[in-house]
Amino acid sequence: MDVNGRKQDSFFIVTVAGRMDATTAPEFEKSCLEWIGQGESAFIVDLKELEYMSSAGLRSILVVGKKVKAAGGTISFSSLTPNVAHVFSISGFGSMFKIHDCLETALANS
Amino acid sequence: MMRLLRGLAGFLPVVVLMAAVRVWAALPPAAPDAKPILFVPHWAPQAQFAGYYVAFEKGFYAARGLNVKILEGGPTMPSAALLEKGSVEFATMFLSTAIVERAKGAKLVNIGQIVTGSSQVLIARRDSGIKTIHDMDGKRVGLWGGELSIMPKALFKKYGVHVKVVPQSWSVNLFLRGGVDVVSAMLYNEYHTLLQAGVDSSQLRVFNLSGLGFNVPEDGIYCMEATLKKDPQTCRLFVQASLQGWRYAFAHPRKALDIVMKYVRKAQIATNRPHQKWMLSHMRKVIDLPPPGGCPEQVKKSDYMAICRELMRNAMIQRVPTFSNLIRNCAAAHEK
Amino acid sequence: MKNRGIAFKLVLFTLSGTMAVFVSAFAYVYFSSKSSMMHFVEMNGRNATHAAAYQIESVLRGVEKVPLNYAALLTSGYYKASDLSLLPRQMLATNPEIFGAAIAFEPEAFEPGKHYFAPYCYRGKNGVLTDIMLGGAHYDYFTMDWYQIPRELDRPQWTEPYYDKGGGNKLMATFSVPFHKELNGKRKFQGVVTADVALDGLRKIVSSTRIYKSGYAFLISRNGVFVTHPISGMIMTNSIFSIAEAKHSNFLRLIGQKMIAGGEGFVELPRGLLYSGKCWLYYTPLPSIGWSIGIVTPEHELLADVLRFGRMVIVIGICGVLLLALIVLLIARRISKPIIDLSATTLEIARGNLDATLPDIKRRDEVGALARSFEGMRVALKDYIENLTQTTAARERMESELKIASRIQMSFLPKVFPPLPGNARVDIAARLEPARHIGGDLYDYFLIDEDQLFFTVGDVSDKGIPAALFMAVTKTLLKGIAEKGMSPSEVLLKCNHELCGGNDSMMFVTLFCGILDLRSGRLRYSNAGHEHPFLLRRGARPERLIVPDGFLLGVNEEASYETMETLLQPGDKLIVYTDGVTEAINSAGEFYSDSKLLDQIESCASLSADGIASRILQSVKTFSSGVPQADDITLLAIWFTGPKV
Repeated sequence: MDVNGRKQDSFFIVTVAGRMDATTAPEFEKSCLEWIGQGESAFIVDLKELEYMSSAGLRSILVVGKKVKAAGGTISFSSLTPNVAHVFSISGFGSMFKIHDCLETALANS
Repeated sequence: MMRLLRGLAGFLPVVVLMAAVRVWAALPPAAPDAKPILFVPHWAPQAQFAGYYVAFEKGFYAARGLNVKILEGGPTMPSAALLEKGSVEFATMFLSTAIVERAKGAKLVNIGQIVTGSSQVLIARRDSGIKTIHDMDGKRVGLWGGELSIMPKALFKKYGVHVKVVPQSWSVNLFLRGGVDVVSAMLYNEYHTLLQAGVDSSQLRVFNLSGLGFNVPEDGIYCMEATLKKDPQTCRLFVQASLQGWRYAFAHPRKALDIVMKYVRKAQIATNRPHQKWMLSHMRKVIDLPPPGGCPEQVKKSDYMAICRELMRNAMIQRVPTFSNLIRNCAAAHEK
Repeated sequence: MKNRGIAFKLVLFTLSGTMAVFVSAFAYVYFSSKSSMMHFVEMNGRNATHAAAYQIESVLRGVEKVPLNYAALLTSGYYKASDLSLLPRQMLATNPEIFGAAIAFEPEAFEPGKHYFAPYCYRGKNGVLTDIMLGGAHYDYFTMDWYQIPRELDRPQWTEPYYDKGGGNKLMATFSVPFHKELNGKRKFQGVVTADVALDGLRKIVSSTRIYKSGYAFLISRNGVFVTHPISGMIMTNSIFSIAEAKHSNFLRLIGQKMIAGGEGFVELPRGLLYSGKCWLYYTPLPSIGWSIGIVTPEHELLADVLRFGRMVIVIGICGVLLLALIVLLIARRISKPIIDLSATTLEIARGNLDATLPDIKRRDEVGALARSFEGMRVALKDYIENLTQTTAARERMESELKIASRIQMSFLPKVFPPLPGNARVDIAARLEPARHIGGDLYDYFLIDEDQLFFTVGDVSDKGIPAALFMAVTKTLLKGIAEKGMSPSEVLLKCNHELCGGNDSMMFVTLFCGILDLRSGRLRYSNAGHEHPFLLRRGARPERLIVPDGFLLGVNEEASYETMETLLQPGDKLIVYTDGVTEAINSAGEFYSDSKLLDQIESCASLSADGIASRILQSVKTFSSGVPQADDITLLAIWFTGPKV
């Protein structure tokens, strides 16, 4: 799994590629917490290249989401693959987080 | 037994002779006090007479009941003269010598021709330019005296060659020092003496008389006619024992040489073993031995006549002795 | 070679090198001293033969003068014929070195009718001069060498040596000088004047000449015949050529030819020619008489000093080499001994004794460095192994604890459906395969009252011990919450509420739960973010159960849940599972996927609940064989058989 972050406009865009499961999710969690620590607050997580997400991945997202909220920031997700979208939908994440079709939409609407 | 053997002898001479030898071999040696039978070879002790020395030393004479004594030959012991004087019973000599003596009236007879070929040669140095008999024309040629000069002279006559004859002694030093261009030699003796004086055979050109049509028989055993008539048995036994000696000498050259060298030393002859070895090996080539118990081949009448002709031409004889008077081999002796 | 020890190789190489140096040095010394010895022998040979030749020559020249003078006198014709018979005696009287003298005339040359005329005088017994006349039928001197050769060659000549049998059997040689007469202006050969010289004196000169003890000198005539020789039997009988012939040595023959040709030289002769061993020959000519004198020096004697010196050098060399061998061996031992010890110790270490003490650690050389390296390795190895032992122990303990935990966890789960009171109206079976010892999936079913069957399947986020604990909590909560009269959504709401409290780690659980009325087949259910179950209606294709949205449990305290319901007909089947089933991966990296699950379920129409659970689990396992299980797998199958008639 690859996790990368970059500033674009006022947003901090996190791209995740590969599989996010029990083994790899802690890396995502750690990276995001660092960025939060650095003062980033407007996160857009681009999941365009994420192939699979397990319940552990969901948990990491919950942790990050909670931290962002606690820090007074926002987090949204964009470009979900069908697999991931299915997991989001079943787990009810769709109602908990803002989901965008693509990164551009996310940038425009956040 | 003896009578039976004698009776059969006429029909089966060879077989009987072989058997007879065995019988005589079993006889006790002759009594020492009996008068010895004297024999003299026609030259000083050397391998030319190996057969006789061997026959004596190996007891072949004694085994036949013959009390033989060999006298030391040499220039002072002319064998023919000794025979005629009755000083010896048996002697060897060249056939030509015998013819001359017989022609002079000596009643000697040939009871066994041992050497059937001629060993006489003429030798020139290769660097003298003499390549053929013709090249000897006008050259100084060493020739022995007496009968031995007959054949070379006949040869020169045949080829129409005129040579300057230089009398030759028994030494070849004159030739070695360049005093003559051609030297007379016996292949078994003087030729090898030259080699032993440091001259290489490649430096010499050898003219064989035998090869040039002058092959005459040489050494033969002789006795007086009276001896043969009186005691043919002894004559025959003497020839047989001598032939056995030759046979043994050729079969055991080393032992034969030991014996020859013994006589050589006794006579203080200035010769050496390699020289005698050479001589013995050459004798083997010119002696044609009959099978054991057999007789030596008789001299051919044609050879005899050829020699007589040359002797007549050189005025060595005035008449030709009757062939059958002189040539009586041992078989003929036995018939009587 | 390869298998030999260091000591052997060191000794071998050092010694072979030293030996090579030694041998070449020895060879050089040997050959150079041999060559200088040879030079010495050649010089001495030359001096000795020259001295002897000079002595002999002076005797011979003295003898030669006499007949030369007399021949000149006779040629001049100034003599009285009556004195001729006395001339030989005169020659002897004034010349003691002459043994005999003669004046031999040609036939008829002295006076007509006289074939032989040759007065001869010699030293008879006790040196008394004796006169005789030579010539006669038995002494035809004209063909004798002493007469004929000078005559034919017309110049003075020395004869070959010969034994004079007449005069006391003396070995002698004769010098003959022709004399002539002038006749009509022509020189006419008249005869020879001769002088005999006894060779005893010359032989003494030669036999006293030698260089070394066992060497000898010899004199040969123009024909190569030995005039002197240490073996008396060789004199006058054998020649250098007869020896060459007897020994089949063409080499010796060639030397003989050089000698009689008047050559001078120094040659090495093979063994057995002129001496039993190898020898050296120096030869020089006697020009006046044409003879040659040779001096033989045996090589063994010539080389005796060289050999003695060589033997000494060899002995010293061998001692030196042996000593060197010993030293090298000791050094080699000193080097290889600690290595052997070290090797023995390391072997012990290799066999597992990590407490073995390494020797030679304090040495300052390469072996010490090697030993220290080994020591470092030993310590590191020991630490590592101790570490490993502890880690292994800890891990084993943990494993065993996990096994126990697993057993405890599995024992939570119902294995057998509780016997329904009265008659069986439902068949229920479940499977749970944790990915590790313990997992985060859960299922449960129990009767709330005699007709109401509560069942649930859940999946705790993550795996391992935290998930297992969270699962245990969830299961316990559900069991406690689910009571008669409660709807599934109420159960979830309450459970969510309980789980959210103090859940900082954001653990959550997705959960599907339902309550089946066993009499009517009415199924009420609610869902908290869980995979939607499949419903296999009797005689129909499997379909997804339509479930209400609901956020997973334990995260959002405000989450709300709905209850939906459907009516199961007898024979209908419900399959509830966790995503461990559909997300199982095969070796090609493909998911098991919904479609495969759907196909399996469809083929299960005739099976019992247990059969369905078994078949699907088996199918998943077959699919993902060889790939480690990534997630817990849970299956719950319910076969509503309908009320018993």
